[in-house]
Amino acid sequence: MSVPAIEARGLDKYFGRFQALDELDLTVDSGQVAGFLGPNGSGKSTTIRILLGLLRADSGSVRLLGGDPWKEAVALHRRLAYVPGDVSLWPNLTGGQAIDLLGRLRGGLDDRRKKTFLERFELDPTKKARTYSKGNRQKVALVAALSSTAELLILDEPTSGLDPLMEAVFTECVREVKEEGRTVLLSSHILSEVEKLCDTVTIIRGGRTVESGTLAELRHLTRSTVRAEVEGDPSALEGLTGVHDLSIDGRAVVFAVENDHMGSVLSELATLGARSLVSNPPSLEELFMRHYGDDLAARGAAGEIDGRERA
Amino acid sequence: MSAFTGTGTMIRFILRRDRIRLSVWTLALVGTTAVTVPTLDEAFPDEESRQARAALMDTPTGVVFGGPGYGLDDYSLGPMLVNELTASLLIALAVLSILHVIRHTRAEEESGRAELLRANVLGAGAQSTAALVTLTLVNLLIGGLIALSIIAFDMPVADSLAYGLGLALAGISFGAIAAVCAQVSEHGRTTSGLSFLVVGLLFMARVVGDLAEQGGGLASWLSPFAWVQQTRPFVDLRWEPLALYGAFLVVTFAIAHVLAGRRDLGSGLVATRPGPVGAGRLLRGPTTLHLHQQRGSIITWAIAVALFSFAFGTLATEIQGMLEANPDIGVILGGDVDDAVGGFLAVITAYVVMAGATFGALSVLRVWSEENAGRAELVLSTAVGRAHWFGGVLVVATSATVFIVMVGGLGLGLGASVAIEDFEWVWRMVEASLAQLPGALGFVALTALVLGLLPRLTFLVWLWLAYSALTTMLGALLGFPDWAMNLSAFEILAKPPMDEFEVGPYLLYLGAVLSAGAVSLVGFRNRDLVTA
Repeated sequence: MSVPAIEARGLDKYFGRFQALDELDLTVDSGQVAGFLGPNGSGKSTTIRILLGLLRADSGSVRLLGGDPWKEAVALHRRLAYVPGDVSLWPNLTGGQAIDLLGRLRGGLDDRRKKTFLERFELDPTKKARTYSKGNRQKVALVAALSSTAELLILDEPTSGLDPLMEAVFTECVREVKEEGRTVLLSSHILSEVEKLCDTVTIIRGGRTVESGTLAELRHLTRSTVRAEVEGDPSALEGLTGVHDLSIDGRAVVFAVENDHMGSVLSELATLGARSLVSNPPSLEELFMRHYGDDLAARGAAGEIDGRERA
Repeated sequence: MSAFTGTGTMIRFILRRDRIRLSVWTLALVGTTAVTVPTLDEAFPDEESRQARAALMDTPTGVVFGGPGYGLDDYSLGPMLVNELTASLLIALAVLSILHVIRHTRAEEESGRAELLRANVLGAGAQSTAALVTLTLVNLLIGGLIALSIIAFDMPVADSLAYGLGLALAGISFGAIAAVCAQVSEHGRTTSGLSFLVVGLLFMARVVGDLAEQGGGLASWLSPFAWVQQTRPFVDLRWEPLALYGAFLVVTFAIAHVLAGRRDLGSGLVATRPGPVGAGRLLRGPTTLHLHQQRGSIITWAIAVALFSFAFGTLATEIQGMLEANPDIGVILGGDVDDAVGGFLAVITAYVVMAGATFGALSVLRVWSEENAGRAELVLSTAVGRAHWFGGVLVVATSATVFIVMVGGLGLGLGASVAIEDFEWVWRMVEASLAQLPGALGFVALTALVLGLLPRLTFLVWLWLAYSALTTMLGALLGFPDWAMNLSAFEILAKPPMDEFEVGPYLLYLGAVLSAGAVSLVGFRNRDLVTA
């Protein structure tokens, strides 16, 4: 299909005088798994709520599955499933009841799928929701969403309460969803998860999109880490274009290199007589740190935590 | 570490957390007393007007909100204020004390905050002890200040002190009841429901006892509501009845302590059992979901209203008896025995309607708590439209309110019929309850309107409800001017069987209710959802 599953342009949203979104852009193509990254308070959940028609953007345009999420909410919601970041359930309903209810409200639920996912997530559906931990409440919403056959899944930090085993189950499930040709928007701060699962990534900060593209595109923009041992004098690497953060320990060197300049750096290493060479592509961690690094440094220096809490 | 380690810290913590809440309660209660004393003094300046007033207090409605009636034969300022203020003060103290205890015991456990605190150096009994110590402090403070405000009017010191102390002890007793109830259920909501039910029954016991004979019968002596007035302040002071509070407190605290020792943190005596694997056939839409969520409270309210109204209905014979013994009252109420019974039942129907209004407002307010908890978000992310979801709440709230008010009417009618052996009253009272019903539905619509348009203004609903209830209950006794009475939501329509039913205003009121409902739906569709 040519129509993107999600297309948001220049979204602004204010809560009183606080600006939660500032010209935010987000595009997710049909059939893709899109990562949506940003720290707490950067506007991920606000964006998602606008996509769901729960909040109305102050300006900008949004299309969801080709429709207007505010005006056509009900029709669009039949075609999507949502897992909120902080799942709260009806305390007196059991997990099983909540799953059935959510499925029916969405317009039907596949009992076989529900059973499979209950088993895979090891969830006891007979317990009352009030006795569930955060992780178990999340599982309820996940099972409800995955059991549906919706063409779009919107998952807001879905693994924040899951243990590593369950995270692995989740990763597997999302891969299957992708194979079935469905679209997934996955907001997260778990970078390894996004790296494993996502075709594209959008990074936002302070309500503004700062980077977006496929993982390959983003890596292209950034630096790889190189570790090497050389025979000659490594100080020759100093001042070479594209080389940063060089540290020399005897004959061993570690530095970062802009990918565009990798060629010239490699030939210099060859000249120096490289005995060993390890080059790592930038992890998402590093991409992320590049955009929030100064923020973190400022926090560290001031010894305080950013007060913005709106997610 | 003893069970009480950290109690001091917890006491300071509670006082810090609740400094505004407790100050407002204290100011409101002491202020009301301080204002009422001179008001009563001016409203009834001479012997004649005071005796007329005493006669009014001797009527059934007077007894319900007055008490055992000490000093009615020489109705000076002292007995007057004890008679006319005590019931309202005690009800207010009960609400304050019950909510305070639950807030600092069961609600803390339910939210998980207690766990956070108990993981530190804090004894197992520290939190509940601190809740009860602060409960005692605030009640003694309020009682003491009330006593002072009365002494300031040159009233006898010993009587004033006994009265203030009595009020304080009664307040603490209500809190102690909540402390016991808090052990039974895991939920703050259930706990408060249970506590109010128990306190409501104790209030009824006092009413039944006081109506049975002047000075209070046996039923009256079983209730902490009665013991303050049994000290007979400003008439014939005796301190002994206050000892009953001491005994009551020792027993209830002991029960609470024993029960607390038998359970784990966060659990109740009534354990949660596993539930169904899947949802039943009925649980499939937003309306049935709302109904499922409110089922328990609808049933509880209906039972409470049924008990209350049946009990009041049976008092119809007392009224007949009173009129036969004292024909003067008939003159005051005007008309014959049937009119007097009708007048009394019409007033009680208004109380049923007040209960309906309170339930209706609470029921619609579920919208707000569902939004804040994030559950509305979950439902509205499915193929459920906003109007469907919000409309579902209104349907449930309206039907349940109608049901509760009708149950009240039926209860009154049955009670009266059984007592006077005239089954005409059943239908007459159901009719009366339906005639007064819009007073309750008005609050359903108003709450919906506020939530649909400006959810921050919810307090206005409670303000008007409290004002309306207070004016309708006490306005006539306190001699409120007509314009102030007319501002009460329960005074807009006629009150059968006392008054004649009027079709025009009735339809107009229902029309206004429907329009407000419609506007609220449009408002809710067009505003941002409140998200957690």
